Amino acid sequence: MAAGGAQPMIFKTLGWLTDPGHWRSTPFDTGILGQLGAHVGFSVIALVIALVIALPAGLAIGHTGRATWVVSVANAVRALPTIGALVLLVVIISPHFYGRTNAGFLIPTEIVLVVLAIPPILSNTYAGVQNVSPAVRDAAFGMGMTDRQVLGRVELPNALPLIFSGFRSAMLQVIATATIASYVTLGGLGRFIYDGLAQKDYPQMIGGGVLVAALALVADLLVAVVQRYVVSRGVSGRFHRNTSVDSRVAALVEENV
Amino acid sequence: MRTNKLIVAAATAALALGGLTACGSSSDSGSSTNGTVAGGFIFGGPPEFKTRTDGIPGLKKNYGVEFGKYKVTDTGGPVTVGALKRGQIDAADLFTTDPSIEANGFVILKDPKSNFAAQNIVPIINKTKATDGVKQVLNGIQAKLTTEGLGELLDKIQNKKQDPDAVAKEWLSSNSLGTTGTSAKGVTLTVGSANFPENVVLADIYADALTAQGATVTKKLNIGSREKYYPALAGGSLDLFPEYTGTILQYIDKNASATSPDDVYTALTKALPANLVALDKAEAQDSDAVVVTKQTAQKYGLSSIADLAKKTK
Repeated sequence: MAAGGAQPMIFKTLGWLTDPGHWRSTPFDTGILGQLGAHVGFSVIALVIALVIALPAGLAIGHTGRATWVVSVANAVRALPTIGALVLLVVIISPHFYGRTNAGFLIPTEIVLVVLAIPPILSNTYAGVQNVSPAVRDAAFGMGMTDRQVLGRVELPNALPLIFSGFRSAMLQVIATATIASYVTLGGLGRFIYDGLAQKDYPQMIGGGVLVAALALVADLLVAVVQRYVVSRGVSGRFHRNTSVDSRVAALVEENV
Repeated sequence: MRTNKLIVAAATAALALGGLTACGSSSDSGSSTNGTVAGGFIFGGPPEFKTRTDGIPGLKKNYGVEFGKYKVTDTGGPVTVGALKRGQIDAADLFTTDPSIEANGFVILKDPKSNFAAQNIVPIINKTKATDGVKQVLNGIQAKLTTEGLGELLDKIQNKKQDPDAVAKEWLSSNSLGTTGTSAKGVTLTVGSANFPENVVLADIYADALTAQGATVTKKLNIGSREKYYPALAGGSLDLFPEYTGTILQYIDKNASATSPDDVYTALTKALPANLVALDKAEAQDSDAVVVTKQTAQKYGLSSIADLAKKTK
């Protein structure tokens, strides 16, 4: 990796990535496709659990304005060193599992990933709901909407851009951090990074890093597309002609009546 | 818009495919893939064991042993021991001095064909620091290091949680090597060690003996793996390091093929860069071993690595 030129290493990495033998799984060894699937699996499980916890909590806190300390606590948890927490949890949890199971390593990994994903989703959901213009909220109540209707039909749609941005930053963090699963015997794309270093196979190591980055970009693009169709145009302001804020609010209120 | 939709479709397909293959490969069924005992086994060891010449390729070449699946655990550490004990893996790569082998009743499979290269303990030192006095002190230690002795030191550190430096000092004085003197007076050197207890205690032994003989010693212990410390040793920022003849030779020369203690040592003295020298090798060895649990050994009648290639009935 020292002198010797960056070009040969680029070609070696490309060579590693384009070798079909590296993509296929054998009974002895898991290929890139298999590890990619495992990596997506770790990330999806963690993100779904984090969403189920953080989204309702964020909506409730934002709507009621109560228990805002929960958001501060969740944000403070971001300072927790992930790898330290992982090793600690493995030491505590893995001795309880016997036989052919990965549960002793999978559960700690998912816990640390969920802990990582909750703060951005929670704080963005809370901030999104709380920052809905009081005029819009008052108008909704004034039209006779119930609490639940205001939250679901006015506050949530208005908060969606912020919620999506929180989810996207949580997703990127989880995809990048899921590489630590291979530190505790599991698979995922971290396998190539970790094994490449130990085997002095640097094209494999760099290839693994490139794959993680590519996965993160593709996943972000997918969510960006979802966001484009889910977020109301009245909120995102994606009109052909420039329109003022007031007419956007008007359009939104009209849409929800 | 069209291109956007295409990208989405392609990405969704890729993710779905990835997900499906993951489901297929994550089932550790443990069923035999090649009709041999080893074919039904999951082997656990460090990542490099999978590709090292005396690792999985060597076991196949020398004994015809092909394991069903490889699981990366750690380098002879608690993860490997725990996984073997609890049945997540069936056979493991551990080190012969590891006290947890005896503590858990694990069985070391014999290696009659010397697949594993000799791993005698050897101090690697910067040539400019290897004065006659320093050599005399270190070679004196080397002459007293035995595999059993090392196992006892490790037992004290790992199981009885004693401080490595205190264990090192105790070992030196009980072997009458801790005497104060002036053999190494005027020498200033930095002693390093890798991040596992045995290497740390060896570095402590070297450092404490040299300090007692008048040298000015700085300790840089628990540095990490060889990829991290070897460049520092070759570059001169570390002067002395306890090493293992087989692995350091393999690290410097990927194609090294020597296996017996003397052959490995001779090859190592030739392979080392000009600024480093290997002092005397100790009788003590800490080599790799294929280890199974007692139950597994009894169930399949295993005593040698070659038994793993037996056909299952």
